[in-house]
Amino acid sequence: MEARSRGRAVAGGIVPLVLVAVLLAYMLGPGSEMLRLGVPLPEISIERVDFVGSEILATVRNTGPVPVDVALADVNDRIQPAAVEPDRHLERLESALVRIPFEWNVAEPYAIGITTDDGTRFEKMVDAAAPATRPTWDLAAFFALVGTFVGVVPVVIGMLWLPFLRGMSSARYHFFLALTAGLLLFLAIDATEEALDISRNDLAGAFNGALLVATAIALSFLALYYSGERLAGRTGPAAAGLMISVGIGLHNFGEGLAIGAAIGIGSLAFGTFLIVGFTLHNVTEGLAIAASVSRRRPALPVLAALAMIAGAPAILGAWTGGFAYSPMASAIFLGVGAGAILQVVLVVLRWIRNEGGRFSSPSVTLGLASGMLVMYLTSILV
Amino acid sequence: MISRSRAVLAAVLVAGLSAVIALPMISDAQTEVRTFVTHNGAIVKTSGDVLDPLYTPSTVEFDPDEFLRNFEYGRVSISETGQTVRDFTIIARDDLIQEVSPGVFYNVWTFNGTVPGPTLRATEGDLLRINFINNGSKAHTIHFHGIHPAGMDGVFEPVGSGGRFVYEFEAGPVGVHPYHCHIMPLEEHIVHGLYGMFIVDPREGREPADEMVMVLNGLDTDFDGENNFYAANTIPFYYQHHPIQIDAGDLVRIYVANMVEFDPINNFHLHGNLYKYYPTGTDVVPSFYTDMITLSQTERGIMEFTYEHPGKYLFHAHKVEFSEKGWVGIFLVRGDGGEGYGS
Repeated sequence: MEARSRGRAVAGGIVPLVLVAVLLAYMLGPGSEMLRLGVPLPEISIERVDFVGSEILATVRNTGPVPVDVALADVNDRIQPAAVEPDRHLERLESALVRIPFEWNVAEPYAIGITTDDGTRFEKMVDAAAPATRPTWDLAAFFALVGTFVGVVPVVIGMLWLPFLRGMSSARYHFFLALTAGLLLFLAIDATEEALDISRNDLAGAFNGALLVATAIALSFLALYYSGERLAGRTGPAAAGLMISVGIGLHNFGEGLAIGAAIGIGSLAFGTFLIVGFTLHNVTEGLAIAASVSRRRPALPVLAALAMIAGAPAILGAWTGGFAYSPMASAIFLGVGAGAILQVVLVVLRWIRNEGGRFSSPSVTLGLASGMLVMYLTSILV
Repeated sequence: MISRSRAVLAAVLVAGLSAVIALPMISDAQTEVRTFVTHNGAIVKTSGDVLDPLYTPSTVEFDPDEFLRNFEYGRVSISETGQTVRDFTIIARDDLIQEVSPGVFYNVWTFNGTVPGPTLRATEGDLLRINFINNGSKAHTIHFHGIHPAGMDGVFEPVGSGGRFVYEFEAGPVGVHPYHCHIMPLEEHIVHGLYGMFIVDPREGREPADEMVMVLNGLDTDFDGENNFYAANTIPFYYQHHPIQIDAGDLVRIYVANMVEFDPINNFHLHGNLYKYYPTGTDVVPSFYTDMITLSQTERGIMEFTYEHPGKYLFHAHKVEFSEKGWVGIFLVRGDGGEGYGS
């Protein structure tokens, strides 16, 4: 009986799937004529343009509803002989590399055009040509240094507020916890905005960028919420500090990406500017971690580990952004960071309540408001 | 147990879906190495496909070599009054898709199946009867430049889909004239390819020469109001990879007409030589001796030149944007005794 009812349950789960498969097969097969409405327009996206030696490399992806063939390449609207690897035929979402031999000049703008078999020309504008970054040890060391300055150093400096936070009155402590929540809330919004920006500017419409970001945020929130509950059950309240460090670490990974990509695409001045801004901005993140652990007496190695978890991902981010920038990966990482931070905000707010604080109390309200404001003001530097 | 098996099922589903999405991105790699030559003469190797309109053999249905020296004189008869009568049949279509540059397919609108349409040729005073059949889906006409009665102008007598019309007039004046469809929107009908050349020879004839036709045109393959390609006789870069062979010492005569739309001017520059230029071909005395003539829309004329030295000579638009998008070619001048350059 048991086996039979289980079999029935499995069948009940599978029957709708089978019906969907049949429906799909019909719509794509015999029923496709019925659904042929309008004219499918081919579309490709030039996802990135690299300037290497005496070649311009354009990565193109078929982001339209039908397969296309790449027919021609041009630079500044002048036809150039080129090669397309692995081949000119692109199925939906397939990508290829178009190599255009061209003696380009540093810092000059270029319009890269790709024409498909139906004669449509797609263009990507590059504001200033710069040699593509090649992964060398020197550059890797440079990115590591930058990541340390942006991530690790300010977080450690911020954590030096720990003795100051210890032994303060409960109302003051609530203020600093709320301040942390405010800081984090700002970071979550910031990361979301950045992810949407990237998805809007650099991601083909076919990928539904905004929904990709929303999905990344939701999944990361749920994953951390779930694991956070498990972790809290096992190791006690000390987990909150770890959760905050992880959230901030993901966020700093995103900042590393932005800096690495800025240097990678050659806008070094912009990169320097970002570094200064992020360094100041991130001191506040150390404060957030310090506030979360100040009521316990964590050992020094634990504090060091928290600082590394929060700060070191900036180095990884800089490497990724500088050497293997992908708009899709960036949008996803930033979305994951935003979801993680939102989860931490929830943890902090719940913690304030567990400590006997109320949202309507002056210290909590003021803390949240100050957190947002401090972040906004330091963000102007970025 | 059940929850675990469901989790496994979900994981399998997710993995399966990811594989379906990711698979098309992994393309079958090719191992064959191909090479191509850049504009600067560098040789580049690739494991992929070569995108090169200059040196890629294309399967174009239209043959610019054949078009270059082809003249249609019509079916000739003599009327009761002794006048030469030339009957032409021209069929318009607007449904053909042709490969206009290697790998690029475009909906051409055609007179007798080609862009440009056939080069019609008559002698001054001949009676012309052009039997026009519109097999297109839209209304079309033929509007000839030249002198003829108002009712034969092909403007106020649109010929609907499946319709016919006979244009009848005396050939004149002497010269080289374009003809084209004159249905609105005019730009659309012209830029799709409904045009051609009409030559009226003087009764006494012209000096014997190696004669050829070049209709300078452009193709706006993505309909954005700008030409994606330019050419002499439609196919970009064609005469660069199929040089036009002429003989040193021979008189060469080119009938040129500019049918480029969107861009206000076009021009014709000849390397290593100068040509005598007869604007509109209406006079037998040249107006210019130059290597550079600028032509606006439907401006046309006759160019005459003779090469002394064998070798390869470029000719192209000196509006170099046009030449870098296809309006460029080569004259291969063969020496005496048929010994050409590189032979």
